[in-house]
Parts: sequence; structure tokens; C-alpha cells
Amino acid sequence: MSDKAANNAPLKKSITFISRSAPYGRDNSQLCLEMALACAVFEQNVNYVFLDDGVYQLVGAQNASAIDAKTLGNALETLELYGIENICVDEDSLNQRNLMAKDLLGEFKLVNRSLITALIRQSDCVFNL
Amino acid sequence: MTILHTISRSPSSALLASCASLLASGDAVLFIEDGIYHCSDNKALSAIEALVKLYVLREDLMARGMLGKNLADAEIVGYDAFVELCCEYDKVVSWF
Amino acid sequence: MKFSIVIYAAPYSSEAAATALRFTKTLLDQGHELYRLFFFGDGVHNANRLSVVAQDDKNIQQAWDELIKTRGLDSVICVSSAIKRGIVDETESQRYELNAVSAYDSSEISGLGQLVDATLHSDRVVNFG
Repeated sequence: MSDKAANNAPLKKSITFISRSAPYGRDNSQLCLEMALACAVFEQNVNYVFLDDGVYQLVGAQNASAIDAKTLGNALETLELYGIENICVDEDSLNQRNLMAKDLLGEFKLVNRSLITALIRQSDCVFNL
Repeated sequence: MTILHTISRSPSSALLASCASLLASGDAVLFIEDGIYHCSDNKALSAIEALVKLYVLREDLMARGMLGKNLADAEIVGYDAFVELCCEYDKVVSWF
Repeated sequence: MKFSIVIYAAPYSSEAAATALRFTKTLLDQGHELYRLFFFGDGVHNANRLSVVAQDDKNIQQAWDELIKTRGLDSVICVSSAIKRGIVDETESQRYELNAVSAYDSSEISGLGQLVDATLHSDRVVNFG
């Protein structure tokens, strides 16, 4: 990666991404995804959590060509393709937004806040956007 | 592993509620930028101040004329302490 | 302690870039090591060398450039964020035949692998957005 990498840093860390923003309005959701995919390419242990407005990224039947953007829903499928297996969705965030599992792009692991708390505590690094 | 959370948006952002739901005993919250306005309302913070330590950045209070209006039980700190807190806690989670 | 700093915010439109600048100066003054600055998303605007400000305003881009040069910091601008926002160095300018250079030469334009590398090599990663 870097020529600075000569010292004895760990080769693998546990990195958690909290994707907390709705798609399209701002690019936070896109940036979060790009960072996670990069970590997966370099074989890090990646956790990906959809929280708050981030769950709107998972709504099915997105068609962003209407606003000249790439459909983020399609891009999210790449998370699994890149080997990111621990993808979870905060159930409270869905409930607060009247979203049900059947409204989503696919099947996701629904989790509660205490599980997310535990996840970020045991991670080496957390990106939250 | 303990966590320092930083919150940099005003109370209308609702970031505090999300952050609070992920706090664990031993963590801390540092209010910076527009986040300092959380500290003028001690009711909003009373739910978490028993669980975690609260800090607020002096420079951002001063800039906004809020230095004397820190009603919450938040300790006023400068940039030196901001860096020290980042070292003291095992990681930093930023809410913006 | 070894830090890396990630900046997501453009200067001026929010306080975050200025906060990151003060934080970075403070940690260096305390004798900590900075492994890398990483400018991502709108944060790449912090490397725009064409900025001009009113006499009583602080030029944040220039302040970053001075800090990076005087302290010999490793500073990376994310390439995918940068080129779409018109932040290009000599290499990118030639690659896309743009006839202009807008990035300070104190930062290197590179990929997200540099962020992963920074995460692996740093004790603390602090995000400003």
C-alpha cells in the first residue's frame, strides 16, 4: 500500500461503518460505501451498519436516473460481493420511519441498539457518516 | 474499549439521541462547533450525564457567546484537552 | 500516540475544516505523531491552491499548505473525490488534458487504499465533517 508501511502495524483491523445518511441528498452514503469497499479490498474485517436515515438507502425500487445519479441500491449489492458479510440494519430506525422488511431491497440482518453498541466497542476504528 | 464521541451539530440535528442510544458506561461525549448548544439545556443532557462524562470545547463556546451559559454538567476544555481525551479513550466516534 | 485525520468538509461552508486544522496543530505541538491527513469528499477543497480570501479572513487552504510543509506531513487527497471537483495536480491535469493545476503540491492525489493504510498504522483516526 504505502512505502511508509515498513513498520510492524497490524495487517488486519476490525472497522465498523455506520451509514447514517439518506441516499442522494448528500454524498455521505456514497462516501461511506466507498470507504468500506476499499477496506474490504485490503481484506479488513468490515462491519456495515445502517442507522437512522441510512435505512432509506435500502428501500427497494430506487431509480436515480430520474435525478441523473447512480442508483445507490444497486451499489449496495457490491458490499457482499466484496466479502463484507456483517451487514446489519437497525430495527428501531426502520420502525421510526414506517419501513418494513418487505419494503427493502433484500433480506438484511435486523439488530437492536445494544448489539450496535457492542459492535462499535469491539471495533478498532469507527467511521460514522 | 471506551469511546469518545464528538457531536458537532446543534440539538435540532437529533444527533444526540442517536449517539445516546449507543453510549456505554465509561464513554464520554465532547460537544464541539454547533454541538455546544446542547450544553445550554441541562434537561436534554440529564439522561446521559449519569452514564458518561460530558465535555464542551471552550473555543466554540466563546465564539458563540455561550461561555457563561453552560448550564449542563459539562466540563469546559480547550484543544489541548481535546487531543488528550482522544488519547485517553480507546477510539473516537464523530457525529456530524 | 500516532494519529490520522480524515476531513470530509469543505472550508468556509462549515467550521469542520478549521476545527480539524486547529486539532492537527495541537496534536503536533503536544509531540504526537501524525501518520496522515486524508481529504475525502468535499474535504478535497481544502487543497485548492486557487483560493483568495478577503484580507481579514483566514485562508484555510493556505494554512493547511503551510502546516503540511513546515511540519513535513503526509497529506493525501482522494483521487475520485478530487478530480470530479476540479482539484487536480500536474499528473491528473496532464492525464485529462486540463491545462491547469488547482491542487497544492504539498498533498498527494491518491486512492482510498491510503486511508485503509492510515487506519492500519494509526492508534487513533479522528474524523471531521
